Amino acid sequence: MKRFTHINATSAEHAVSCLQEYKDSSYVIAGGSDLLGCLKDNLWMQTPEAIVNLKTIEGLSYIKEEGSTLHIGALTTLTEVAESSIVKKLAPALAEAARRTASPLLRNMGTLGGNICQENRCWYYRYPSKLGGRIDCVRKGGTKCFAVIGEHRYHSIFGAVNKCIAVNPSDTAPALIALNATIKTTKRTIAIDEFFSAAHGAGSTILDRDEIVLEILVPVAAKSAVSAFKKIAFRKSIDFALVTCAIALEKDADKITAVRICLNGVYNNPMRSQEAEEFLLGKVLTEDIAKEAGEIALQNAKSLFQNIYKVQLAKTLVADTLLSL
Amino acid sequence: MAKTTENILPSGEKEHVTLHVNGEDISLLIEAHWTLSKVLRNGCSLTGTKEACDAGACGACTVLIDGIARPACMLLAREQVGKKIETIEGLEKNGQLHPIQEAWLEEYGAQCGFCSPGFIMTTKALLAKNPNPNDDEIKEALGGNLCLCDNYEHIILAVKSAAKKIAKGGK
Ligand SMILES: Cc1cc2nc3c(=O)[nH]c(=O)nc-3n(C[C@H](O)[C@H](O)[C@H](O)COP(=O)(O)OP(=O)(O)OC[C@H]3O[C@@H](n4cnc5c(N)ncnc54)[C@H](O)[C@@H]3O)c2cc1C
Ligand code: SF4
Repeated sequence: MKRFTHINATSAEHAVSCLQEYKDSSYVIAGGSDLLGCLKDNLWMQTPEAIVNLKTIEGLSYIKEEGSTLHIGALTTLTEVAESSIVKKLAPALAEAARRTASPLLRNMGTLGGNICQENRCWYYRYPSKLGGRIDCVRKGGTKCFAVIGEHRYHSIFGAVNKCIAVNPSDTAPALIALNATIKTTKRTIAIDEFFSAAHGAGSTILDRDEIVLEILVPVAAKSAVSAFKKIAFRKSIDFALVTCAIALEKDADKITAVRICLNGVYNNPMRSQEAEEFLLGKVLTEDIAKEAGEIALQNAKSLFQNIYKVQLAKTLVADTLLSL
Repeated sequence: MAKTTENILPSGEKEHVTLHVNGEDISLLIEAHWTLSKVLRNGCSLTGTKEACDAGACGACTVLIDGIARPACMLLAREQVGKKIETIEGLEKNGQLHPIQEAWLEEYGAQCGFCSPGFIMTTKALLAKNPNPNDDEIKEALGGNLCLCDNYEHIILAVKSAAKKIAKGGK
């Protein structure tokens, strides 16, 4: 790892002032499970000068229910989210997504805030500089995407954003989208549907460089509401998803009255399937309806040469997740 | 707001810190980018904590931080000041192996042994939380530790045997 200046932030304002002082050459560190990987591999074109530690700020780690909203501090670890009885009861899709993320050891350090802000895992992007030099692809400010012409079996099946076909790797992101969460930062409150943006270059969110996620808010839905999350990966543990799917729905006398479906691992940003949602409204859930919803969710897929299998995985996962509700 | 200067360790400079490892305070000079696994191995001569993947993906470097199992290669040493750090070296007391270590020997939990310190530390955290885990709970809890000898069956037997030993009054 290259040298950097390390600052233990004493408050969110202090952290923001440090980020402003070091401008584009600083990052915050939460659990560090993603950031240290990036630093060790020296993958960015500009090596950061300063790392600002958020763990020394008090009061950013909590899970509480207030009124009809679940409040989760950005520094709450994924283990805490996965094991929380409140999250399991009020937002089962989120608890399950956290439980399926990475490995127990990484969940013990990885935070929910870090999980939704993590960098993409494209193997060209992440290529370690010590093995023959860094790969400066489009996403980092270079000119070419190496995955399109190279190995793209884990990449986007819905096309590119700014020529990049890397997928968003976060497991909690689709759950938070299905549950219609809101993100509170040091600057503003952002609806989760607007939060993720691969169009911003490196990084996967619309956050400004001097902006920090403080809290994740999940509305507590009506009593009849249910939610679920499913992940397909090669291994049960320590493995990023090939495809994930999270669904939240409400029923009235067996008819679906509200539904939000989100896939991840299929596109640069987590992807809501609004056509499938519209199709499901007013319907009674059966195996055929669930399968059709899967077909509809993937009808606009444009897979590449090596990743066509992911289309079938995603179709099946949408149907399976629906049928688990 | 505390002054920035008190909380900052500039790039390239060293800082005196005290790490609390296995019940002892160890004074060290560290740099900002040094990981806990490096400092344990090179600064504290505690080489039981192994470094294999150096990416948080294998669990060989697992240590307990305030009782929670975490990969030491993904932790900055500077961020562990004030915390209780436990490594494999802290388990043996007065020449007496810890029951988990005994179980590892008796059940052949180790083949080459490189992953054992990490597995044993994860097991310690597991048994503190769940003293009598079933097979599925053991598999889930040890899901962040890899054994390249593929000795998992023996490792699960060792965890179960350790649980029994501890229930009988070991520590
Ligand atoms: C071996 C391995 C396997 C993994 N598997 C998975 C997986 O299966 N699924 C998955 O989703 N992830 C996985 N991860 C990725 C990731 O490490 C974790 O998901 C974790 O949640 C990241 O959180 P963190 O607190 O450690 O983030 P950090 O590493 O501290 O931060 C990640 C990024 O987010 C920024 N950031 C952190 N907190 C904030 C904040 N509050 N506001 C603004 N920006 C912030 C940081 O600057 C950094 O750029 C894996 C990682 C490893 C090493
Ligand atoms: S997919 Fe994106 S991150 Fe990967 S090589 Fe192409 S531009 Fe870079």
